Amino acid sequence: MSDEEHQFESKADAGASKTYPQQAGTIRKGGYIVIKARPCKVVEVSTSKTGKHGHAKCHFVAIDIFNGKKLEDIVPSSHNCDVPHVNRTDYQLIDISEDGFVSLLTENGNTKDDLKLPTDDSLLSQIKGGFEEGKDLVVSVMSAMGEEQICALKDIGPKN
Amino acid sequence: MAMNTGAADLAQLQATMQAIEVACHAMQMHVNPAAAEATIVSLRESRRPYQACQFIIENSQMANARFQAAGIIRHAALREWGLLEADVRRGLVSFCLCFIMKHATLPDGYVLVKVASLGAQLLKRGWLDFTAAEKEAFFIQVKQAVSGVHGLDVQFVGISFLESLVSEFSPTTSSAMGRPREFHEQCRISLEQDYMKGLYSWVQHAAFNVSNRITEADSEIPEIKVCSAALHLMLQILNWDFQSKKAGENSKRGLDVFCDGKQESNSLRRFECTLVQPGPEWRDVLISSGHVGWLLNFYTALRKKFSCEGYWLDCPLAVSARKLIVQFCTLTGAIFPSDSGHMQRQHLLQLLAGIVQWMEPPDAVSDAIKSGKSESELLDGCRALLSLATVTSPLIFDELLKSLRPYGTLTLLSAVMCEVFKDLMTNHTEEDTWSSEARDILLDTWIVLLMQLDASGHNHSLPAEGISAAADLFAVIVESELKAASESAFNDDDEHDYLQASVTAMDERLSSYALIARAAIGSAIPLLTKLFSERIMRLHQGRGISNPTETLEELYSLLLITGHVLADEGQGETPLVPKEIKSHYANVLEMDKHPVIMLSGSIIKFAEQSLDPVVRTSFFSPRLMEAVVWFLARWSLTYLMPSEESVEHRSSYENCNDALLRSKHPTNALFSFSGENDRGKIVLDIIIRISLSTLVSYPGEKDLQALTCYQLLHGLVKRKSIITHLVTLDSWRDLANAFANERVILSLNAAHQRSLAQTLTVSACGMKTPESSNEYIRSLTSHMTAYLVELSSKNDLKAIAQQPDIILLVSCLLERLRGVARASEPRVQNAIYQMGFSVMNPVLTFLQTYKDESVVVYLLLKFVTDWVEGQIIYLEAQETAAVVEFCMRLLQLYSAHNIGKISVSLSNSLRTADADKYKDLRALLQLLSNLCSKDLVDFASEPIEAYGTNISQVVYTGLHIIAPLITPELLKYPKLCHSYFSLLSHLLEVYPEIIEQLSVEAFSHILGTLDFGLHHQDVEAVDLCLRAVKALASHHYKDRGAGKIGLGSHATSYNDPNGNFHESVLSRLLRSLMQLLLFEDYSTELVSSAADALLPLILCEQSVYQKLASELIERQTNPVFRFRLRNGFQSLTTSNNLSSTLDRINYQRFRKNLHSFIEDVWGFLHIV
Repeated sequence: MSDEEHQFESKADAGASKTYPQQAGTIRKGGYIVIKARPCKVVEVSTSKTGKHGHAKCHFVAIDIFNGKKLEDIVPSSHNCDVPHVNRTDYQLIDISEDGFVSLLTENGNTKDDLKLPTDDSLLSQIKGGFEEGKDLVVSVMSAMGEEQICALKDIGPKN
Repeated sequence: MAMNTGAADLAQLQATMQAIEVACHAMQMHVNPAAAEATIVSLRESRRPYQACQFIIENSQMANARFQAAGIIRHAALREWGLLEADVRRGLVSFCLCFIMKHATLPDGYVLVKVASLGAQLLKRGWLDFTAAEKEAFFIQVKQAVSGVHGLDVQFVGISFLESLVSEFSPTTSSAMGRPREFHEQCRISLEQDYMKGLYSWVQHAAFNVSNRITEADSEIPEIKVCSAALHLMLQILNWDFQSKKAGENSKRGLDVFCDGKQESNSLRRFECTLVQPGPEWRDVLISSGHVGWLLNFYTALRKKFSCEGYWLDCPLAVSARKLIVQFCTLTGAIFPSDSGHMQRQHLLQLLAGIVQWMEPPDAVSDAIKSGKSESELLDGCRALLSLATVTSPLIFDELLKSLRPYGTLTLLSAVMCEVFKDLMTNHTEEDTWSSEARDILLDTWIVLLMQLDASGHNHSLPAEGISAAADLFAVIVESELKAASESAFNDDDEHDYLQASVTAMDERLSSYALIARAAIGSAIPLLTKLFSERIMRLHQGRGISNPTETLEELYSLLLITGHVLADEGQGETPLVPKEIKSHYANVLEMDKHPVIMLSGSIIKFAEQSLDPVVRTSFFSPRLMEAVVWFLARWSLTYLMPSEESVEHRSSYENCNDALLRSKHPTNALFSFSGENDRGKIVLDIIIRISLSTLVSYPGEKDLQALTCYQLLHGLVKRKSIITHLVTLDSWRDLANAFANERVILSLNAAHQRSLAQTLTVSACGMKTPESSNEYIRSLTSHMTAYLVELSSKNDLKAIAQQPDIILLVSCLLERLRGVARASEPRVQNAIYQMGFSVMNPVLTFLQTYKDESVVVYLLLKFVTDWVEGQIIYLEAQETAAVVEFCMRLLQLYSAHNIGKISVSLSNSLRTADADKYKDLRALLQLLSNLCSKDLVDFASEPIEAYGTNISQVVYTGLHIIAPLITPELLKYPKLCHSYFSLLSHLLEVYPEIIEQLSVEAFSHILGTLDFGLHHQDVEAVDLCLRAVKALASHHYKDRGAGKIGLGSHATSYNDPNGNFHESVLSRLLRSLMQLLLFEDYSTELVSSAADALLPLILCEQSVYQKLASELIERQTNPVFRFRLRNGFQSLTTSNNLSSTLDRINYQRFRKNLHSFIEDVWGFLHIV
């Protein structure tokens, strides 16, 4: 696939299709869901009934994928829920600036400079430490519903 | 050697005592507990702390210090026992005995108990060392105490010493003391043969002597304490696991010729009711002495005193007495002479005469309990009935009461139970009432009786009176269940909410109801039919007028009960028509008059109404539908198109012409309703249409759909006779079409889609020719594989793949393919292979694209694992080569994505990332094991080596790839740990020669995990590691012996260019294993496997071993220990004619040597 196309796609999905409808009963633990207009990862699903002879409903416990807050929702299992489009993109890490922003290399050779270091301590120390040791690092950036954040790191070996 | 503290003067003892007292005080006050503990530990670990401790026990004013001192003696003595002189050993035991006798009035009872149990433990530890005279001397002292000549306090202390002793000698309650099982077994046998009966008669006399004074007294007197202790000890002795019980396990002597022992032990296992089976030598003590009569009279006397101060229904003395009486009900076996059960019957009759007073008349007793009387007497009465039922046959059980009353025991049982159910009906909302406990015990009693009947042959039933008692009882049960159902219809509490849980919880209870119903089948079936049609009528009459919920809940309950009465669960086998139903309706030949057919027919007709959308919305709530589907699943397993084989099998099983004749008819009547004919096909068609409608018309009802997929459809396709008809039905084709084309099926739970795919694939075997079967599979799967291929080749895959709808679709399709793959059978193997082959590339593409979607990754891995598992043994060499190459690329890709990856999202998800990885790795290990199996079972026409495939090579490469991903953290997951080590030990045992080809890093990683595994908590994991080590070392030794290179460079120690020493792997393992064996805590079960690993290691690394041994010897400062250790090492490698070969005999010799070595030196190596 060409780089232009990729660029085009990622711009396009900032607009229309940030979320998709999906039947509540099909959303599983580990999947994504929108609760109170926030993209979340489902950590627990339980089903119950509205009265003994009523219909099933799903009880979701989910974690906001960006700020880690816990959210809950109850939805009849035949109804639709919004599911966020969660995208992950890998970039090579070029630089860490003093104000906590990172400089990343995109696939088409440009740099992306609008992301901050993650807040998670262990990830933060791994990134900083690895960078100082001069390792080649690839970071994964997760984006959904117009927000993005560094969520993972991969060490692809020392710089040659 | 004299005691080394012998010279210690009084001052020193005082000082030690003070130190311990201070420490104990500090611990109680929580002031610097670590230091206090260190003080105690240092005394505990010192050599021979006995004199100091004895001094503390005798002189300290602090109870806690005395308690600790006793604990220290225990620890030190068990550790040093082997080194102590005979008089020291004896002295310790007699110190304990003298102390408790002398201080019997000590206010701090727990110190006495501790010292008594210390005495008991030491006596047991030295049991095989003490001479008979020494033991006799101890026991005389105890006997005098128990007889009461030294007063009540000493008598009580004596009894409690015996209690500790008996529990110490009983295998289930003994402390391990680091001794092998044989030791405990020898002690147990010796105590039982030589002393047990004597002990019993001592306490029997003690109880007898004090009982008179108790019956005469009007208030609480000290004798009560002694008496309840004595009763308690008698109970404990009767609970003893008697030798003769084992011998006579299968004989239920005298009473019952129809009941075989197998049945008995089955029912016992179920209810954990211990039978008391001492041998004939106990007859004089327990039976002829009038002991039971005395006990019953004593209890009767007690009952009269319950109004007095200090006595009440639940006072310890009364409780112990009742327990003992109930225990006597289970007395059986060789203690009774072979007089066709006469003596046992007398014995039971005597007991029953006493026990019925606790339960009669049932209504009055129940009323008294409701107005506040304690229920324990009634409950004990119920337990006694259960005990009686276990030792007698149903007939004799019923007869027993007839000699005392105008009715039989069954009638009493049924009457008590009806009262219990009446109480349950009034307050069923409360949990744990007396009536629910009584219900459970009495249900167990029925089960024991009816299961014996079951095993004793089919033409035996209860006596007529018993049948009508069962019928009455069943009517009350159903009434109470229906009442509970309609009352709870509007409850909305979560715990009863979904069927899966409630069915499982109720299942056991319902099966016992079913047993009772079947005992009175003639009235149970018409009753159920009547109740069912009443409810249906009510439903239709009230349509649109009243809320049907209560009736729906009643129907729900009725369906569950009826399902249990009509059919058995089968538990993996094809259940047969219950024989009560078969024999009772043997003479009903017309189909439309057969009560079972009428009942089944009306339920199926009712279920069919759910197909009408209007009726469905008004009546068929998801919950009712769950019961309908469950019933249909259970019913069809037994009644729908029973295969001819099982009919034949049944007749040969019964092996009786008469029974065959009678069983033919009912089968025929039932057969014409639902056998392999047009009527049967109509029923099958209805069932399939109902299944389809639950899948498409109840969106989001997971539980209902789970029942449909797992119970109903799975059950149907399990049977050959059904699937041949299934594939000809239009409704089945509709189901397959809906599966392929309807979007609504895509929104089923993914696991249900998998199961549906599996079901549809299995049914392909019902087609007439293999070609059509394969064609069917192809048409079922082609649209799915085509979609996946197309998607994976899209240019913008990377962009669209992450859209939620695409992820959902891909996961559903993968689940479906996995379902198909799991249904692999030789007949359709080719089509399934083609299916997997066509998605190989898409799978790799998706693994790349979805590397961050752990859910999809896991599905991909599981699909491949299941597909390989189903296919591998059938593959031809060329296909194998393709599959193996594919698997290697998959492993490499997975590993490339995951090595060195740190994934973090907020809050606790680090843990879930770990769990994801764990699941992935388990799947990969499973994949490797599946590949391994190609080497064991292979149906290919030419050897796979023809295409250059070498399974061992493949699996090693695989292991090489994933080994770095397996970290000690992940090995903490027990299942992963187990599958990893079993794969590893399998590999090393079967293909050790490949090891030398591994790189140093890869091998040292594997070695690291082995070393980790050796120190694992889980015995099984350690055992697997030891097997792996054994395989490694013995391979090396044998190879070297044959002049080959063995493990090659891995097995040589060398200095690298930087001057660092690299130790050979075998000497590293040897060191590690010796360290484990000598200095760490491990289960004694492991010593044998450790020996098997150690022997080849020693043989390979003789010089390292010598060095290690002499280091250990040098480290011992004490000359005695040094001498013993040197001898130990000497005989470890020389005694029993140990040679330097690795054959079975030599391994056995070494095992023996290692056992005695460990026993010899472990104790003193652990002294600090």
